[in-house]
Amino acid sequence: MMTPRERFKAVINFRKPDALPWVESFYDEVLLKWFGEGLRAEELTVIEWEMGRGGTALLNWPAVKGFDPYSYFRCQSMLGCFVPVDVGPIPRFKLRVLREDDRYVDILSETGAVLRRMKREAYIWYSMPTFVEFPVKDRKTWEAYKARLNPEDPRRYPKDWEKDAYLKAFENYQRGNTLLRFNGFYGFGAQLMGIPTFTVMFYKDPELMHEMAEHWEYFTTEAIRDAVETLRDRIDMVFWWEDLAEKHGPCISPKIYREFLLPHYKRVTGFLRKNGIDRVMMDSDGNLNPLLDLVVEAGITGIWPLEVASNMDAISVRKKYGDKLFLGGNLDKRELAKGGESMRREVDSKVPALKEMGGYFPGVDHLVHAEFSLQRFREYAEYLRGHLPYR
Amino acid sequence: MFAASVGVDSMVEMSVNTLDSLAKTVGEVEDSGRVKDLVNRALSEGVAPVDIVERGLRRGMDTVGKKYETGEYFLSELLYAGVLVSEALEVLKPLLRSGRAEKKGVIVIGTVRGDIHDIGKNVFSMLCQVAGFEVHDLGVDVAPETFIKKLGETDAGVLGLSTLLTNTRPEMKAVVDMLRQSGMRSRVKVLLGGNAVTRDFAGEIGADAAALDAVEGVELCKRWVERR
Repeated sequence: MMTPRERFKAVINFRKPDALPWVESFYDEVLLKWFGEGLRAEELTVIEWEMGRGGTALLNWPAVKGFDPYSYFRCQSMLGCFVPVDVGPIPRFKLRVLREDDRYVDILSETGAVLRRMKREAYIWYSMPTFVEFPVKDRKTWEAYKARLNPEDPRRYPKDWEKDAYLKAFENYQRGNTLLRFNGFYGFGAQLMGIPTFTVMFYKDPELMHEMAEHWEYFTTEAIRDAVETLRDRIDMVFWWEDLAEKHGPCISPKIYREFLLPHYKRVTGFLRKNGIDRVMMDSDGNLNPLLDLVVEAGITGIWPLEVASNMDAISVRKKYGDKLFLGGNLDKRELAKGGESMRREVDSKVPALKEMGGYFPGVDHLVHAEFSLQRFREYAEYLRGHLPYR
Repeated sequence: MFAASVGVDSMVEMSVNTLDSLAKTVGEVEDSGRVKDLVNRALSEGVAPVDIVERGLRRGMDTVGKKYETGEYFLSELLYAGVLVSEALEVLKPLLRSGRAEKKGVIVIGTVRGDIHDIGKNVFSMLCQVAGFEVHDLGVDVAPETFIKKLGETDAGVLGLSTLLTNTRPEMKAVVDMLRQSGMRSRVKVLLGGNAVTRDFAGEIGADAAALDAVEGVELCKRWVERR
């Protein structure tokens, strides 16, 4: 029997596994809600020997992992084992509450953005925040921020960055994929400036955008260089966060993508490929269809989560792009959450066909959210599991 | 002074050319310096500020909206065109007071209680203003009674309700129900927007429509006020 990691690697490389890997991600608030619906906390609490996530240390003692729905539902997490490179701003901004009243709390995040959360949410830290201020507004603020984006900063790698130990740890980790995670230029810029300012800046100050893109390429390549050149194809996949589309379509036009992003993307994916890493998965919500030709040209080789509400259809993408893109997700969360016939219809309309075509791992088209009742999710899990094995 | 040296017919022709250029410049999302130049040129040619808005800026913005709907333009072009028009309106605003522009209608909008997201709402609000609507934007996390109070204070014919989150959709129904109870439902069209809404949902809660994007929302508002 293949391990979850072997299954995942087989699928993203268009090989046939013994069973499809079922890949999900859960909002923590969903788990809290499910406890209220009868899920026993003891069933999900995991204590085990585990390698640390987030790039700070190798943990070598038993750790209370908190709630692990993946073992419980027998699916696997999208976020398996991370290569510990810190591609955030260094030093981080000091996370702190800036102001609050009866209804809202404004928090300075570690990336320098100010985000607002509603206090009335049952679980304030899990509620979706809104951003009220961003650290980069123009050239002057960009220049100041750039000081935190030095790829050579030794703090980008763990203090115990002992390559052989990590190589061994990655080999031993079979519960999920080993991945290197960083942000694409759109995701990077939107996070620094906010979507409205960033998208308009391509017109208002194209020179600044070229400079930022140039720095993104330099920063990303040099920050990950040591890990990439050491670990090479032990890295199963690059997780390229982008989120560059809305329901109607991409937030930037193909013309902007071609001019400002594509040349840099080609060089970064070229560097990865040269080191044996050619599985590069873009994480983006929204309708990406108008950009897919360019995404492929950029050297990106996979997409997740293919949001159905934004007209993404894995079968059409597979037919058009063949094995140029591996695909994940695309099961309509709205239909699955309804349960019964709606859920079964959604699974049946996609999973068997995509399983046959290859290069696809099923899952909800984004994170499992609070509209799922525990009962409906169990029903979906049981039904989908019946589709996974190749017989 | 330049206009003094040419005849009336030539002036009319010039101003038509200038307004066409202005509409084209906005429609093709060229740089803001050129938009301002054309606005100033139109003013120097004696074109009424109202005409600059109607026959230049709005016509250009209509082109942008159409190109967005047909997939030629995307959010970046839509937002930048909005910036171009807003900057031009800043120049024209003091002059518009003397020659009142035609008001297309009045809209009250806001993000419903429990949700503090506003990017989509702000794009819609901007497009409505550019299209000539008087917009009362109540912001985010707006209670049902606040919407109803503002509708009572204005002669708004459209109420726009936005939410990104699925768990705040019931708030939209609460507003529609309260609107019905207030006796104003027959004079107010209710438009839903935001990532969490669908046309089916609009039907379920008794709203008039759900717009899948901001441009579609503005077109619906225009159609509604034309029928009034």
